[in-house]
Amino acid sequence: MESKQITTKNIYYPPGGILLWIIIFLELFTFGMALVAMVIYSKDEPEVFHSSRLLLNTTFGIINTIFLLTSGFFMAKSVKSFKEDKYKKSSLYLKLTMLGGLFFLGLKSIEYYEKIEAGLSIGYNTFFSFYWMLTLFHVIHVVVGLVILSSVYFSMQKKGKSLELEDVEASAAFWHMCDLIWLLLFPIIYLIF
Amino acid sequence: MKNHLYFKVLLSLLALTMVAAMIVKFGFEFKVTTAIILALFMLKFLGVTFYFMELKRAHVFWKSVVIIFVMLFSIIILVGI
Repeated sequence: MESKQITTKNIYYPPGGILLWIIIFLELFTFGMALVAMVIYSKDEPEVFHSSRLLLNTTFGIINTIFLLTSGFFMAKSVKSFKEDKYKKSSLYLKLTMLGGLFFLGLKSIEYYEKIEAGLSIGYNTFFSFYWMLTLFHVIHVVVGLVILSSVYFSMQKKGKSLELEDVEASAAFWHMCDLIWLLLFPIIYLIF
Repeated sequence: MKNHLYFKVLLSLLALTMVAAMIVKFGFEFKVTTAIILALFMLKFLGVTFYFMELKRAHVFWKSVVIIFVMLFSIIILVGI
């Protein structure tokens, strides 16, 4: 079967487009620098960071990682199906991708609720200041990602063939960026300290 | 990319996540635990970028930048912790 292709070997067109990759690197650097700052602060209060890390629910962190990775898998399948002109399949995978994102947000809400109930708010200590700022900033990215994917989904329903592959790839790259940011956050916040 | 390859990558990523979570309970020395967790993180990060984001097909510049970023980040965290 003939499939759509974009020459991604071109330095100016990585999968998803150069502008999106610039955004991806800016985001990764921003989160990366914040995590480095968190590690530096932990040197001053190692006991506080360790005891605070133990207050987090690692199981929730693992399950959320599973949700995002599985969601990323369906996103990759959706792009592949779109390239092969299998729009129905692509649309189904896109729905599963969004479902993964919604599950992530649902579990994150439960986690936040538990923390607030326990009085572990943003001002509790340095660890929790970083925890809230970094995870909330990531949640905003997931919400924006879901809005972008919903827009692509509805365009796919209405237009089908007229939806450009570049648009689908760019939205997929944004969604995968949410995965990547979470992959940065999870080991540092939930496991290391 | 073949469909079953995506699935294999997903299974590997999930397995690496579980291993990283279990390593913490093994009671190794702090630096060793951190190094193992960061190594597993690097593999997951590269798995997502190279396979799910299809960076494997991209220009060598983009592959290099991603590898340099993930290595630098891991080294800085390991040294700083």
